[in-house]
Amino acid sequence: MTAVQSETNPSASALASSGGSSKGASIHAKGISKIYGSGENAFRALGPIDLDIKPGEFVSLIGPSGCGKSTTLLLVSGLEPPSEGRVEVDGMPLTRPISEVGIVFQDHLLLDFRTALKNVMLQQEIRGLDKAELRERAANLFDRLGLKGAEDRYPRQLSGGMRQRVSIARALVHDPSMLLMDEPFGALDAITRTQIRHDLEMLWLETRKTVLFITHSIEEAVGLSDRVLVMSTSPGRIVEEIPIDLPRPRPAHLGEYPEFSRYAQQIYEIFSKLGVYRF
Amino acid sequence: MGPIMGMNRTMTEERTADYRPSLDNGREGGLLAAIGQLRGSFAGSALIALISIAALLGLWEWLAIAFDVPTWLVPKPSDFLGRLVSDWQLIVGHAVATSITIVEGFALGVLVAVPLALAISSIGALERGLYPVIVFLNIMPKTVVGPILIIWFGIGPLVAALIVFLMCFFPVLVDAMAGFKAVDRRLFYISRSMGAGAWQSFAKFRLPAAMPHIVSGMKIGVVKAVEGVIIAEFIASNKGLGFMIMQASSFMDMPLMFAGLIAAAIVALLFNGLMSVFERQMMPWAHTGH
Repeated sequence: MTAVQSETNPSASALASSGGSSKGASIHAKGISKIYGSGENAFRALGPIDLDIKPGEFVSLIGPSGCGKSTTLLLVSGLEPPSEGRVEVDGMPLTRPISEVGIVFQDHLLLDFRTALKNVMLQQEIRGLDKAELRERAANLFDRLGLKGAEDRYPRQLSGGMRQRVSIARALVHDPSMLLMDEPFGALDAITRTQIRHDLEMLWLETRKTVLFITHSIEEAVGLSDRVLVMSTSPGRIVEEIPIDLPRPRPAHLGEYPEFSRYAQQIYEIFSKLGVYRF
Repeated sequence: MGPIMGMNRTMTEERTADYRPSLDNGREGGLLAAIGQLRGSFAGSALIALISIAALLGLWEWLAIAFDVPTWLVPKPSDFLGRLVSDWQLIVGHAVATSITIVEGFALGVLVAVPLALAISSIGALERGLYPVIVFLNIMPKTVVGPILIIWFGIGPLVAALIVFLMCFFPVLVDAMAGFKAVDRRLFYISRSMGAGAWQSFAKFRLPAAMPHIVSGMKIGVVKAVEGVIIAEFIASNKGLGFMIMQASSFMDMPLMFAGLIAAAIVALLFNGLMSVFERQMMPWAHTGH
């Protein structure tokens, strides 16, 4: 169903043709953990946990604050080394930060001095990629993300939702095989969040990057993912794996699906068991 | 009041031409409405400022003549404004010397403060070791080192420039440090994920991200510099407006002292204006509106 969708969408094929669209990477992590400090003061922030993410899969990590979700993202991207265990991307052991990646954080982290387009084109400047090609890809992404007309605006002149869209464009413009998102919609209002969730899903359906999506929100996790991994705190562990079998693209109001309530219920129950919720 | 009334008429006519029903009532307001509208625009506020300054000078001139105040005690505006015109070569020469001293001291301040701020905020040991020294130097009145510098370097613009440097160095350093420290660690992660090396990380991410802080430090620095340069020239130079005023003082040449004061104000205005232009260049988003 999704393949048909991407073929009938003209901007999707344009996106693919202008980037030689790389396919999603596989992520395999075995017994990774992060321990800060040493001796008696050692604090285990994460794990050990295992991750197995297939190429092109959309996986969410959901859990309470301080469960090590963000740490997992840093370990998977190679930005921080794991204290134990190892990470493999596409079968290759990770020893330094991977570059075939786009990262979106909760804060847009755009540079105030650059216009929206120039912020996105930073990927081209730093990586030394072909300017014309990346410009075309950027134009495409701006179009897809509803950013037309915002190219020459500065981040401070954009709304929170627009900034986050620019941030997503920056993470995708160089056609990475992996998209890592750390609560990307956490700072947005509910209405914007629902729209941007849909826009991200549509982009993902067309490009099939591997996505690791970190969130607090059950709705976002179930609304976007192929698989939801539920985490517990201190130390952060993956306690449950829930495959989400809902048709795509998923609607704005997820309550349309009775299954959605079932998945949500399942996650609430796990949280209650973990003591995250005390009702 | 003649010119004001004339202006008022033009403004009213303009408003009539640009007819907007919602403002219809305001048209009846006459003078008040015109002034109210003037207040809004930049040209309007400049005009009002000019008029009030002219009125003040006129009052001053009239009082000085009416009470027959001697020129050596309080010069009339016509005296010192006249000197500003007749001695313009002398005054401009000193004003240029003062400006060069400001530029030298300020540039040195920024060039030393920003790299030092980067070093201090990047290396924890440096911060612990150097910060108390910096705080001490910052608290110390800068002009005190004047006599010491005179012994080292002799009287001249160099000493004045060094005092200006000391004055504007600290605000730039403190704000630049705050700026470098405020850079989000996750921005560093993003630069690393792009494969940026140490230099690119600094030039493309860290420095631009810290720039608003650095610019606000520079703004304070410029104010300190134009304030400090005159005092520095009083004590330690043989050139510049400060020196000229000191010399005029020893000859009881009151009109030249007042002319020097006005020239110093113009130099200060010029540098603050340049800083505003620079800020506008550096932070375009703050001015281009929506």
